Amino acid sequence: MITFALALDIFTQLSFWVSVGVLAGTYGIFACGLQLNVGFTGVVNFGQAGFMAIGAYTMGIAVVELGWSFWAALPVAVLVAMAAGLLIGLSSLRLRADYFAIVTLAFAEIVRYTAINARDLTGGNQGLIGFDGDWARLSGGIQEALAPVGLDGEFLLPLLLVTWTTLVLLVLSLRWAQGSPWGRVLRAIREDEDAARALGKNAFAYKLQSIAIAAGIAAIAGFFHALNLSLLTPNSFEPLFTFLGYAVLVLGGLASYTAVAAGAVVLWTLLEATRLLELPLPAEKVAALRFMIVGLILIVLMALRPQGAFGKREEMVLGD
Amino acid sequence: MSRLEDNAMGPEELSGPHPGGADRLGDEPAWRRLLRRARVGVRDRPGYALLGITASLFAGLVAVYGLSDVAQRTLNGLVAGSYFALGAVGLTLVYGILKLVNFAHGDMLTFGAYMALLFSAGLGLPSLVAMAAGVLATAGLGLAFERLLWRPMRRKRAGLLQLLLTAIGLALFIRSGIQFVAGTAQRSLDVDVLASVEFLGLRIGTTELIVVVVGVAVLTLVAVLLRVTSVGRQMRALSDNFSLAETTGVDTSRIVALTWVFGAGLAGLAGVLYAAAAGSFNPNLGFLLLLTLFAAVILGGIGNAYGALVGGMFLGLTQEWSTLVIDSRWKIAIGFVILIMVLIVRPNGLFGRAAKI
Amino acid sequence: MTRQATSEASAERAREDDERSLLVVRDVYRSFGGLRAVDGASLDVRAGSITALIGPNGAGKTTLFNLMTGFERADAGEITLEGRPIARKPPHTIARLGMVRTFQLTKALAAMPVLDNILLAAPDQPGERLSNLLLRHRRCRQRELAIRERALELLDSFDLRPQADAYAGTLSGGQRKLLELARALMAEPRILLLDEPMAGINPTLGRRLLAHMRELRSAGTTFLFIEHDMDVVMGEADRVIVMALGKVIADGTPDAVRSDTRVIDAYLGGTP
Repeated sequence: MITFALALDIFTQLSFWVSVGVLAGTYGIFACGLQLNVGFTGVVNFGQAGFMAIGAYTMGIAVVELGWSFWAALPVAVLVAMAAGLLIGLSSLRLRADYFAIVTLAFAEIVRYTAINARDLTGGNQGLIGFDGDWARLSGGIQEALAPVGLDGEFLLPLLLVTWTTLVLLVLSLRWAQGSPWGRVLRAIREDEDAARALGKNAFAYKLQSIAIAAGIAAIAGFFHALNLSLLTPNSFEPLFTFLGYAVLVLGGLASYTAVAAGAVVLWTLLEATRLLELPLPAEKVAALRFMIVGLILIVLMALRPQGAFGKREEMVLGD
Repeated sequence: MSRLEDNAMGPEELSGPHPGGADRLGDEPAWRRLLRRARVGVRDRPGYALLGITASLFAGLVAVYGLSDVAQRTLNGLVAGSYFALGAVGLTLVYGILKLVNFAHGDMLTFGAYMALLFSAGLGLPSLVAMAAGVLATAGLGLAFERLLWRPMRRKRAGLLQLLLTAIGLALFIRSGIQFVAGTAQRSLDVDVLASVEFLGLRIGTTELIVVVVGVAVLTLVAVLLRVTSVGRQMRALSDNFSLAETTGVDTSRIVALTWVFGAGLAGLAGVLYAAAAGSFNPNLGFLLLLTLFAAVILGGIGNAYGALVGGMFLGLTQEWSTLVIDSRWKIAIGFVILIMVLIVRPNGLFGRAAKI
Repeated sequence: MTRQATSEASAERAREDDERSLLVVRDVYRSFGGLRAVDGASLDVRAGSITALIGPNGAGKTTLFNLMTGFERADAGEITLEGRPIARKPPHTIARLGMVRTFQLTKALAAMPVLDNILLAAPDQPGERLSNLLLRHRRCRQRELAIRERALELLDSFDLRPQADAYAGTLSGGQRKLLELARALMAEPRILLLDEPMAGINPTLGRRLLAHMRELRSAGTTFLFIEHDMDVVMGEADRVIVMALGKVIADGTPDAVRSDTRVIDAYLGGTP
């Protein structure tokens, strides 16, 4: 009992919240793309981790193998990921929803497989390092700037700040876009494509845009993830990442981008807490337990409250 | 024109898209006509088309690599094809009930393998008994989830997204649950991995041989049962078109339960056979196979048990044949490639209705 | 205006528009795996008319609607709208060319507010393209304000203004029909295809719908509607087109069609 109480003490440590914050921020950005696809266009994208990998690896390869500047590599990597999104969309968006989900999942696995096996290019399972020199300098600069406030001890704090600034900007932009006529068309397509078509909207084109933008967003999440680990490995981009993204989505609700940010914080607080709490179990089992919890969250929420914590029932497009 | 003339012209002659207007059959270039006849042939006689493709592949490979190499790979392909086919048939049978491709199906294969492990290494039962017990346990699991999860969701008329995410959650839960109990280390069933049999200059492990024999036997039995018994026919009707089957007096709740028992049982068997043939396995077993199972099911036409059977065998063969041409670590990609090709060219699969997305 | 005066006026208009056939369908075929849903149908709809499409169940009326609006592809035949061929164009293109349809089961977008439903339908919205949102922001805002005003007026005329901000899913069945009609009108169509507009609504609401239709027709909108309610058909339509077994078997004024033996046979079950 005392051990447990002492263990709860982690919640008061800044480093716990910083690490939760970086992960929550990264997953929040990642899940914003999913929200755009699923919550607002009605497209079930199970390949988000694949787009993330393409973005992150393009950046890594450009910097490490081709000698590009980190800052130049970023926008190019986003564009490459968006191009991949367009490719997948063009070839597969006409399929029914669960087939599309399968194709995107297969695509993500192919990307991961390529990352593992194209060792010369990606470093294979060993991973790719050395792409974050420019970032390290910037991060160091930010840390120094925080010295007067006494916060310069936290190594990941600059990353946290940049990640969350990006997330907030992204949420604001997406909310604005959602309230626009463009967003209105997307919402209509989510609910009833045929009705939208009968009113002159080219549903296919809009769905394509949705996928491409989500792919770009995934790439950005990929950058932050890579910077967090200072390492790019194929394991970071397993389907599990996508499914965790969906857990975030489902927790907050399929109704708003702010909810995504909230869901990300809740999920990662939960997950990191179970990792750091001194439970009377070996680490491997705790890891497995975490994912059992995530699975349960998905099942229970879908069964009992599909609109999530912040969703509105009337906005849920339920039933076929 | 009266209705009777339909049969003379054949339905597909009228259903294909025509760029012109009224006159479309008259002045087509010969190659275009040949291509159309070929597509019609594939559409109307998909089984033969697949057989033809398989035979041509075989012939082509033999010409390039020689009979013994190809024959050896074919043998390996039959082993893989057995458990692919078993998993795929189970997946396609439950499709009709779920109305979606079950993302948690792969983890039922994993469950089967680990249950067999539990019964043999954990409880000390003899191998064969343990494996059979594993299969039964998986059948029970499938039934339990149907009652606890899928039936209530059906009653609530849950949408596709809800069902998809539930399946994902379930998959994660089962896999992590297995990991929680058994850890992530590679495990093996207590089977003989060393003994092998030689015939006609080809070598096959004894265990693998048993896997093929059992697999093919069960598949034949399943194929017969589905066609001959009333229960089997009702299951096929249900998996093909749930609402239609309901209206024609199929006792849905009983047949649904039986379909789950059957489908999950086959999954368990597939998992056990894979574990036996591969020699070692870990909790990711099912997920690794899942995409190949999807490919088999979609190739064969979703909801069509025979299609899944044929699709599974085909995938096993092509996967092993591919190792002649490309490095073996890429062989899993074959499943993905076939999956994507099928979805682009003929999404309804070989035995499904003609493509109209 | 009396009923008689109305039909005389519309007959005169029909004569005036005689040359101007807005929508022409020629020898259209559509099969589903051996079953001929539409079996060589031809018809034309004159501008400014109210035309009814009737026929027993399974005659192919809704399939023909789908073919005309691009929701299904004709196997053969021609369809032209204002002289432009539209036979195998996608639905959104046809809608933009001025042919808007409603559906048998109303497709009110329940998870969106009523006002959004209407706004969605407005043509020429630069704000629907991301490039315009980013680069021509002011133009988008101006247009959005303009269509908002028009949308509210439209809702007013259908007595739906109080529900403007409510989710369309909270409307009653009859209100949803009105919403779908209002939405279709917002799209400023040249011709409006209504699939069973009177189905499932009470007589009072039905009369209101018909009044709207008449007003709109005098303002220049052409109507083609599928209907089973014969009172409505005989009372409102300038022309009646009858389908059976995938073909058009009669085409003329309500009175002419009413006494046509082929039509009577079709409804009673005999083959034409």
